[in-house]
Amino acid sequence: MRKIGKNGLLSFGDKYRIYILFVAVFAFMSLFAPRFFNVFNVTSILKAISMNACVAIGFTVVMICGQLDLSIGTVITFAGVIALGLQPSLGYLASVAVAIVAGTLVGVLNGLLVAKAKINSFIVTLGTMTILQGAIYELSGGNSISVSSPEAFVISDFLSKSFLPLITPRILISAVLVAVVEFYLRRTRSGRNFYLVGGNRSTAWLAGIRTDRYTIAAFALSGATAAVAGVFSVLESTSATLKLGENSLMYVISATIIGGTAMSGGKGGVLRSVVAIFTLEMLYTGVILFGLGNEVKIFLAGLILAYVVLYEAYATYKHEKSLGQRPELMKELAARKSASA
Amino acid sequence: MKRAAFIAVAIALLALVAAPCFSQTAAQKANLAASLKIDTSTLKSADNQQLLAPSTDSRKVPARPADPNALAETDPLHWYDMEWAGWNVTPTNLPKSPADGAVGKKIIMIVHGDHPWTTACILGGKKVADAYNMTFKALSPNWVKDVQDQMIDQAINEKPDMILLIPLDAKGAVQQARKINQAGIPVHIFNTLPDAQALNYALGWTGPDDFGQFRLLAKSWADELRRRNPGAKTIGVAYVQHAPGGSPYFARSFGPISELATYAPEIKTLAKASPTPATFDANTTMQLVSDWLTKYGKDLKGICASDDSAQSLGIFQALEKAGRTDVVVVAAGNSKQGMDLVKDGKLFAITYQTAEGDGALAVQYAADWFNGKKLPVRRNLAQHIITKADVDKFYPPQW
Repeated sequence: MRKIGKNGLLSFGDKYRIYILFVAVFAFMSLFAPRFFNVFNVTSILKAISMNACVAIGFTVVMICGQLDLSIGTVITFAGVIALGLQPSLGYLASVAVAIVAGTLVGVLNGLLVAKAKINSFIVTLGTMTILQGAIYELSGGNSISVSSPEAFVISDFLSKSFLPLITPRILISAVLVAVVEFYLRRTRSGRNFYLVGGNRSTAWLAGIRTDRYTIAAFALSGATAAVAGVFSVLESTSATLKLGENSLMYVISATIIGGTAMSGGKGGVLRSVVAIFTLEMLYTGVILFGLGNEVKIFLAGLILAYVVLYEAYATYKHEKSLGQRPELMKELAARKSASA
Repeated sequence: MKRAAFIAVAIALLALVAAPCFSQTAAQKANLAASLKIDTSTLKSADNQQLLAPSTDSRKVPARPADPNALAETDPLHWYDMEWAGWNVTPTNLPKSPADGAVGKKIIMIVHGDHPWTTACILGGKKVADAYNMTFKALSPNWVKDVQDQMIDQAINEKPDMILLIPLDAKGAVQQARKINQAGIPVHIFNTLPDAQALNYALGWTGPDDFGQFRLLAKSWADELRRRNPGAKTIGVAYVQHAPGGSPYFARSFGPISELATYAPEIKTLAKASPTPATFDANTTMQLVSDWLTKYGKDLKGICASDDSAQSLGIFQALEKAGRTDVVVVAAGNSKQGMDLVKDGKLFAITYQTAEGDGALAVQYAADWFNGKKLPVRRNLAQHIITKADVDKFYPPQW
């Protein structure tokens, strides 16, 4: 039987840290947080994460490509406002389709500017975010949009009611999207190419991968998933507020980093980001159930993020230090030194 | 003989089953009697005012126009569904009062976000809850509606006797109230006015009559503007608005605009905007007002702000930079900064909006409902405009 040494354990811990953190938080909250471990509460948590989980799909792929998409929050709101704003004239199906296409087009535009015009993704998406904020105010007249018809309530009830324990249609939509994209990234050649593009763009290009296409595709996916998240969120709540996606940007960035996706690109995974979102949400719910304030919630999120960033920095330092070293030779030299002494 | 024995056993069993029910009713009656004896009218807020001051509003509810949206925004009736929200409700699936007393009940208050005002509001609610020996829990979603939706789920999970809600978004409140209502938990909405439809699912609404307060404020403001600009054919003013979406966004700008359209038609709106990206930030407000001062110059004679702290500080920074002392500024109150500005003679007037009283009135409404009292759908806080003449009465400030 193969022995797992200290290094092996560390490596295992490093590789699966988000899953370990998830299990630890879930176990702790289930044991100690009042009314945490029940179907209603866990379903509430799953419902709460379904929007950001959907957004994290595209955002993680963009980060795997070594880019950043700051426009996700405003795309959520933009799509939500379009979906409900156009509903009275176009009906549900068409307005939802228009909203998702609009979100995807925003992503494509981001991708084109990053890949073809070679503008830094931070600048591009910051610009898109600001332009969209203005467009949202213009489209909505500065007011929230709501639909309170019986039909709207039927759709809302359908999306929010469990048809299986823990599963509502909205949760299912997010779960299916996560599974499909995770499978695509891990099990298909074109999926794995996203990692190559993010890991080393020049090498990927030399290997015959059309890097620009992958970058544009990643941004398009990010726009599309943010739009889907926004659309289903407003369909469930029957209203689109102008601050709908405001909180999502920092939340999803934090969760994606905590999940292990490298900001430099080439590393990470959609499932890991979603598990990180789930973990953070459990933590937040636990804080509330313990009767602690919002400040504790923010403090904890900051603490976890700080820990992960510091750990990543330390891991990078260790990795760079070990580059070019030959452990076997070092061991042999040490053995010779002790023998001669 | 056998039959008599059977009947006796049946009666005994029935008595055994029914006894707890009767004793429970007796306990409920005792609890109700104890609850009704509690007097909260003597409670005081931090500013030494009566915590639960009765409303001074004597206006009659007008008839609803066929289509308020078809009327001009300067017509007060255009805002009918917001200003008079609640008066035309169609109660839907509303629970009946248990009429078993407020003592020992569990209530969860879900506010809108962290702010010194909110802290005072929660404190006021707790004072009344403590008087009734209620279990009181407050949750803050920190201004994020999604988080508020989630907190509603968590509150439902705790199965309280009532949920008190400050909705973050007037229109989003419809589904929020509906969800709580469907879970079989009574919901009471307070502070910000929801869309009228939300009140179909709520027991009622309590809070400041923002439209009413700002109509009152507008009249004081107009009188002062006329005094400082005698005989002027037009007097230009601007509005620093609240965060878009909530009822204060409309009430604190369109309230005075629609009031002044008839009370002082010479007062013209030059501009209105919500400071972005941060609505309640002094620097952002200063930038916005500086732009207005550059654009309108001496034509800008008055500014009405949605907040007497950060927004008002920003306004006065901009006015000082421009060397203007002639602009009459009024605002929604009443924070310490706002009252200090009134005392210094900078702010002309602010509304008295008791934060503690707001939370207290919501909890009192809940207590009255548990006590089986017949309640109006809406209960407003007392109205008052604070000026330099009476600002000292309201020290120390609540927040």
